[in-house]
Amino acid sequence: MTEPDWLATDALAPSTAGALAPLYTAAAEGRLALPFCGACGSVLELEQDVCDSCEAAAVEWRDVEPAGTVHSVTRVHRREPSLIRTDSPYHVLDVQLASGHRLVLGTTRPTGRTIRIGDPVRIGFRTVGGIQLPAADPD
Amino acid sequence: MPVFEPAIIGLGMTEMSVKPGGTAQELASRALAAAVRDAGLALSDIDGLLVGSSQGVRPDRLGVSLARRGGLGDLALLEHVEMKGVTTAAMIQNAVLAVRAGLARAVACVFGDAPLRPGGSAGATYAHSGGNEGVRGLERVSGVLGSVPTYALAAARFLEVTGGSEEDLCAVALSGRSWATGNPHAVMRDPLTREEYFAARMVAEPLRVLDCARPVNGAVAVIVGDPAVPAGAHPPVHVRGMAQHHPVRRRRSPHESWFEPAGGGTADALDRALAMAGRRRDDLDAIQLYDPFSIVALSLLETYGFCGRGQAGALVRSGATAPGGSLPMNTGGGQLSGYYLQGMTPLAEAIVQLRGHGGGRQVTDASTVLVTGIGGRGDHHAFLVLDREPL
Repeated sequence: MTEPDWLATDALAPSTAGALAPLYTAAAEGRLALPFCGACGSVLELEQDVCDSCEAAAVEWRDVEPAGTVHSVTRVHRREPSLIRTDSPYHVLDVQLASGHRLVLGTTRPTGRTIRIGDPVRIGFRTVGGIQLPAADPD
Repeated sequence: MPVFEPAIIGLGMTEMSVKPGGTAQELASRALAAAVRDAGLALSDIDGLLVGSSQGVRPDRLGVSLARRGGLGDLALLEHVEMKGVTTAAMIQNAVLAVRAGLARAVACVFGDAPLRPGGSAGATYAHSGGNEGVRGLERVSGVLGSVPTYALAAARFLEVTGGSEEDLCAVALSGRSWATGNPHAVMRDPLTREEYFAARMVAEPLRVLDCARPVNGAVAVIVGDPAVPAGAHPPVHVRGMAQHHPVRRRRSPHESWFEPAGGGTADALDRALAMAGRRRDDLDAIQLYDPFSIVALSLLETYGFCGRGQAGALVRSGATAPGGSLPMNTGGGQLSGYYLQGMTPLAEAIVQLRGHGGGRQVTDASTVLVTGIGGRGDHHAFLVLDREPL
């Protein structure tokens, strides 16, 4: 029996199959893994199959430094009752990772802090419905 | 085959309802019949049908079965078009090309949606859409439910990079509302003040509820066919220019994730559509943008090249886009104050203006009007240059 997540109900637990499977496998071990081109090393988007630099179809997931900066941020006030558990507005961040990837993430825990574009951010993990997934550490 | 240059000859709209009632299928059938009548035709004259539906999994989403439900006869052309927010503009483009090629003579283009349901708001419908798979699944568990948080990230980034402020978003909302007061189809017609805007409920910072489109249950149908056929009921609207642009913007360093940088190619696509139409930007009497959020209209003014980077806020605050301004924009109130039927919102308003049926919101002597579509967070763009005069 796992603790419920502070933000999302289990109904939002993501499917760990498919293109993002390596991300969830790594997250379950506390690592942040993201896709690169196995041929030329370019940074790829999460669901990209073919490299736009060298045109190779050789996606390779590698561990990256769990740190970056805030590319954009919002505080969401609308909370859908059966999906969102917190009773306060919550943050969503678009994180520019040190690796060059971008990830839209929630936060590991609630925060009253003002988060600004350009702020440094560390990546931690949340657990929803038994699935570990990356989230921004708000402090 | 008798090939002629097609025009928009029929427009049919249902009531735009902010209450549950009518499935998308029923509403679409009604709009289709109204458009056929408006064109002075019978359902049996329609030999082509293009159908657009809302994205996402909805049990009653429109599809090609509308032909059967809507009472049409045998068809020579049938397609369910799915291009996100550019679907409507693409349907018109496909219809024009099909008629020019002689594949069909009278093509109905229909879009309908019914996100409002008994016991649940449209917001709830959107929040529960999207699934648990892939990137969207990761976004949703991260709190990105519906599309407001996504466009809130876009707005925050855009305002930061361009030096804009919430006053710019407010100006877009006020501009749209000042037009909507003259549009009987608009669901928000009361005059709006700056104070009321800033007092509105926040949905996802910096977007308030008045920065977001008004979902409705409704449908619009448009007939593309022979401009010589209708017995003088309405002047035909000519499709003189069209273009699409699908920029592949990479969501990774050093690119912008949320809006197109200068030179991204979308303004060039608009220029191509204008050149095809034999018109210049100065000739546009009104622009009807796809504006699901205030931030989208604001950033599109820059993306399309109607002003320089960082200038859109000042342009809208100057009153240029409002009634009496030099660049009338979203003259029915757009999707923010009018109604959200995706690409049909700007298209229907352009047709009304070019027919001179705008009543209290009519743009004087409107003869050339731009219609745009945007989809996939700016990954898809489409343009139509509509005109009272044939090319």
